[in-house]
Amino acid sequence: MTETATPEPLPAVGEARLRTYWAVVWRRFNRGVLNRVARAWVLVLIALAVLVPFLANGSPYTAVLDGQHHYPLLRNLTRLDWLLLICGALVLAGALVHRQLVRRHAEVDELRSAQVRWLAAGLLVAAASAAGLFGFYHDYLDTRDYHALQRSGQLHEAVFAPLPWGYKDQEPLELDRTFAYPTREHFLGTDGNGRDALARLLWSSRVVLAIGLISEVIALVIGVIYGSLMGYFVGRVDILGMRFVEVVEAIPTLFLLITFVALYGRNLFMLMVIIGLTSWTGIARFVRAEFLRIRQLDYVAAAKAAGLPLRSILFRHMLPNGLTPVIVTFTFGVAGAVGSESVLSFLGIGVEPPTPSWGSMLNEAGNPAETFRWWLAIAPGLLIFLTVFAYNIIGEGLRDAIDPRLNKME
Amino acid sequence: MLHYILRRLFLMVPTLIGMTLVLFAVVRFAPGLTTGGGAFGAGGQMRNQQARAAAEQAVKKRLHLVDAQGHDIWLPMQYIYWLNDTLHGDFGESVQYNLPVATLLKERIPVTLSINLVVAFIVYLLAIPGGMLASVKRGKSFDLFWGFGTLALFSLPIMWVGSMEIGFLANPQYLDWFPAAGIHSTNTMWMTFAQYVKDYLWHIVLPISCLSYGGLAFISKLKRAAMLDNLGQDYVRTARAKGLSELTIVTRHVFRNSLLPMITIFAGLIPGLLGGAVVTETMFSIKGMGELMLTAVFSRDLPIIQAEAFIGSVISLICLLITDICYALADPRVSYD
Repeated sequence: MTETATPEPLPAVGEARLRTYWAVVWRRFNRGVLNRVARAWVLVLIALAVLVPFLANGSPYTAVLDGQHHYPLLRNLTRLDWLLLICGALVLAGALVHRQLVRRHAEVDELRSAQVRWLAAGLLVAAASAAGLFGFYHDYLDTRDYHALQRSGQLHEAVFAPLPWGYKDQEPLELDRTFAYPTREHFLGTDGNGRDALARLLWSSRVVLAIGLISEVIALVIGVIYGSLMGYFVGRVDILGMRFVEVVEAIPTLFLLITFVALYGRNLFMLMVIIGLTSWTGIARFVRAEFLRIRQLDYVAAAKAAGLPLRSILFRHMLPNGLTPVIVTFTFGVAGAVGSESVLSFLGIGVEPPTPSWGSMLNEAGNPAETFRWWLAIAPGLLIFLTVFAYNIIGEGLRDAIDPRLNKME
Repeated sequence: MLHYILRRLFLMVPTLIGMTLVLFAVVRFAPGLTTGGGAFGAGGQMRNQQARAAAEQAVKKRLHLVDAQGHDIWLPMQYIYWLNDTLHGDFGESVQYNLPVATLLKERIPVTLSINLVVAFIVYLLAIPGGMLASVKRGKSFDLFWGFGTLALFSLPIMWVGSMEIGFLANPQYLDWFPAAGIHSTNTMWMTFAQYVKDYLWHIVLPISCLSYGGLAFISKLKRAAMLDNLGQDYVRTARAKGLSELTIVTRHVFRNSLLPMITIFAGLIPGLLGGAVVTETMFSIKGMGELMLTAVFSRDLPIIQAEAFIGSVISLICLLITDICYALADPRVSYD
């Protein structure tokens, strides 16, 4: 009886994605435990930023007031809250759809076109809901203090959020609960205005995520355009361009940030733009280096010979192949932007009060040389640290996953 | 060699001009540059319309936006006037201190620079042996631990560490081991030199510890990579074949050959340290450049902000130049032409 060699098991349906470049990188990234932990932390932060109105809110989910049922929490959701919720739901749905598509389509080309169709549909829904929200929905100004109402016995059957405080709900002054120690009511104590520290900590996740991502996207756009032009037109453009990059890098970043903030004001949007404007040089350098390599390749010459327009050559043909180092730089950049924001907020020139941010909470804990309120100072700093660290770990993990030298070793 | 230095200096001129252009543009196009409510709010309390207009005119004249007759000056000429003033050391007068900015900076720069140089020295002192050891023990637990630890330190926010240090180590509530403010005691007049130095060191322990851990990751990583590059070279095999001990190979041959990248990093270290100085100096009430910058922001003292950004950039450029020269001195492969 001849022994038949056991045949190679056929690749399961859905193996197609495992052969694409990014799938390989992703799998290698997921091999590291730390990478997965860091990714989980960022995901938790994102979930927190979306769901925070339901977790920490001064208005109850439902309550009976003057004999009528009210739903103050839902009523008080702002446009931004709704927008984040819708986007969060869309992203979640997108992940599920992606999983299904990968199961269904074995061919990469088919998969890509299906993905593009679904992505377009998702973006359409997002745009429509944004237009609807900003066209027809208005933020509701609710000045009722539900805690006071409950204390005076006017509020019945109230169901509060797990943490019944929003980021600007103050304890009444006559209770004298400013800078209070942690208690059963306020797990991390209260700040100088009698606001719950834990609630502010949770709400801060929004500012931190938004500034980190949006300012880096701004930097990414500038850096990619600038770097690709430099790398494509070598010679005079490149030399002049690199001089300008050196000029911007020579100015100490924090000094430049402070100068910008001092002169151009400091709302949240300005802050994102300013941080983006001061952190694009690294991305530009990397894109330039990649483009210098890619422009030598034959397919670029073919694209040129075919008479494609410049933007098509640069962004449709060259950029996808030069994107790899950019993603690593982007991740480190997000870490840097979160750090910059917290430093600026700590110095008192970051986001404006009452918007909470971990940096400004550290500042609001007071001067540690006089009365050191460790219960207010430890948590925000720890969260800044964990977030910046998580982004840095993800950056390192991606770099290791992408590095071709590691490929060879396997 | 002199030729090389001169050439580097000459190449630095376009960078300097570009830098001044950026700074000029940032300041010049700021909204409310000359109006009371904007960036120039020092005279914000003036009720009198006429006095406000006169003050605005004076500011405009000083910034070379208008000439003596009150006519607008062409934008490029504004830049040239400003550059002329700046290069002559005339940064204008501080609104908040009523002193020439140059005088203020003369006091502040040595304070910040001396601290930063000590910090840079400490960073190198810790990072180089760490990076070496990590490269020798590549892939082993020390390597992983060192990489992870320095990355964690890199992510640690300065202001948090500073708060914790002041709160727990420099506060009568807990441990009162270190002073919480300044770089000198008040009675320096009666100190001998040794006492003076000791007092200074005692004061700067905490600020320096805040500033120095962040740079470890970068430098030790670079050292490790350079070491690994060299460890794979043929001369290491030759040395092993000669029967040299591993310790000798690493400390005498590979170590020296992998020192070059350490020099280049120095130029990148200083701008970051200047930024960190803003935080530490504010927390520890050290009268340095960073503290001056921040107080200037709060009192909207434009001349100081502008001058500081300029001086900070010039300092980074000088570090870049020193780095280049050191590199040329250390590496015989760099040609001097």
